[in-house]
Amino acid sequence: MSTDEHTMIGAWALDAVDADERARVERHLAACASCAQEAAELRETVARLADVTITEPPPRLRDSVLAEVRRTRQEAPVAHEPEPRRRGRAHRSRARHQSRLRLALGAAALAVVAAFAGIFGTWAVMQQPGGESRGDQIAAVLEAADAEVSYQEPDGGGRVTVIASEALDQAVVVVSDLAAPGDDRSYQVWKVNEAGQVSAGVMDAGDASATMLVEGLGDTRVVGVTNEPAGGSDEPTLPMVADVALDA
Amino acid sequence: MFDQGPEARRRQDQPRLSVVAGAEPATAEALLHRTALGEDDAFAALYDLMSGRVYGLCLRIVRDPAQAEEVAQEVLVEVWRTATRFDEHRGSASAWITTIAHRRAVDRVRSAQAAGDRERRAAAESVEPEYDQVAEAAAGRLEHRQVRRCLKTLTELQRQAVTLAYYGGHTYRQVATLLDAAVPTVKSRIRDGLVKLRDCLEVAR
Repeated sequence: MSTDEHTMIGAWALDAVDADERARVERHLAACASCAQEAAELRETVARLADVTITEPPPRLRDSVLAEVRRTRQEAPVAHEPEPRRRGRAHRSRARHQSRLRLALGAAALAVVAAFAGIFGTWAVMQQPGGESRGDQIAAVLEAADAEVSYQEPDGGGRVTVIASEALDQAVVVVSDLAAPGDDRSYQVWKVNEAGQVSAGVMDAGDASATMLVEGLGDTRVVGVTNEPAGGSDEPTLPMVADVALDA
Repeated sequence: MFDQGPEARRRQDQPRLSVVAGAEPATAEALLHRTALGEDDAFAALYDLMSGRVYGLCLRIVRDPAQAEEVAQEVLVEVWRTATRFDEHRGSASAWITTIAHRRAVDRVRSAQAAGDRERRAAAESVEPEYDQVAEAAAGRLEHRQVRRCLKTLTELQRQAVTLAYYGGHTYRQVATLLDAAVPTVKSRIRDGLVKLRDCLEVAR
């Protein structure tokens, strides 16, 4: 990587570069994760500079914008593939199943959950004892009246979100963008209570994101995530990557 | 074994919220996601949340209220059009929208510059940033005070370079000319200044 392009990240974040320089910086960012992280932070910082310029627009702008929006078609979404995936058709067909689920869940409740859980990101479904992903059951938990959302952001990055419904005795666990475990490691999810822990599912080796339904919540106090050899372990390897506490 | 002491039960610092249909907090991210699903009312709410930010920034950069209004409209329609492409893993909704606004306003200013009708004004423009004056209108806002306080922690050259680039819409090369400083110096002062601002504002992702 070039020092020149790295120094230019500041100017890039301020749009103080020409088109060629912008393209060069963005190529650099695509190839360097830590630089992309810094760039994103500087972009957030720069956006704060607009705090001091906030000015109410003339009221007519609102009508005018809303009228134009009514006759403007939205662009098709771009699939985000942050991690290179080396899997075949089985995975893709599961991913399609999940995107149907997402469209079916336009409810307001989901927007909140999605904002926290990153549900709108790339989906991958866990291997579960039952094998199949259970879209309808996941939807039911997300929309349950008593659903409680808890999450934790591990030091290594990413987020583990648990949406639990006591009435349904089920929870949806959304693991998003944890540190890449490597191809020979898997993240494993555990139900933990006073008596000990039971495996709730193992993520595909190498995957850093997944969504799963956990049944038989019972008196689970904590949903834990550990980093295990590919395929999972009988006993958790400590320390846990995440330990999301649920309501007692 | 996992720690099952009383502290393990629930972390005090862990935010929690109940999901109640129709009573969700209207965060910009949530509104943007609903906008992406084509919900007009979510976009209208997003407009109410963000239009002051978009218009104010365009006005600061473009200066002319009629043109600022035009650019702000382009920006807000672009937000609607491309909401489907917003990826929250890459930043906040506010930063995403502000970035679009800044880019559009700067494009407007630079194409005017290229046409030659803004060059004299650009050259004659005071080196002292005018954010103070604009800030009068927004006085009392907490976030605004924080940004001003943090700008004061920068060195003079860092502050001038950052504010001329951001509020003035200048490239770092133009900033170097305006400040009569070496181009590589300005480039590194801009980055150092932003890093210091980031730490002062405690920007986290």
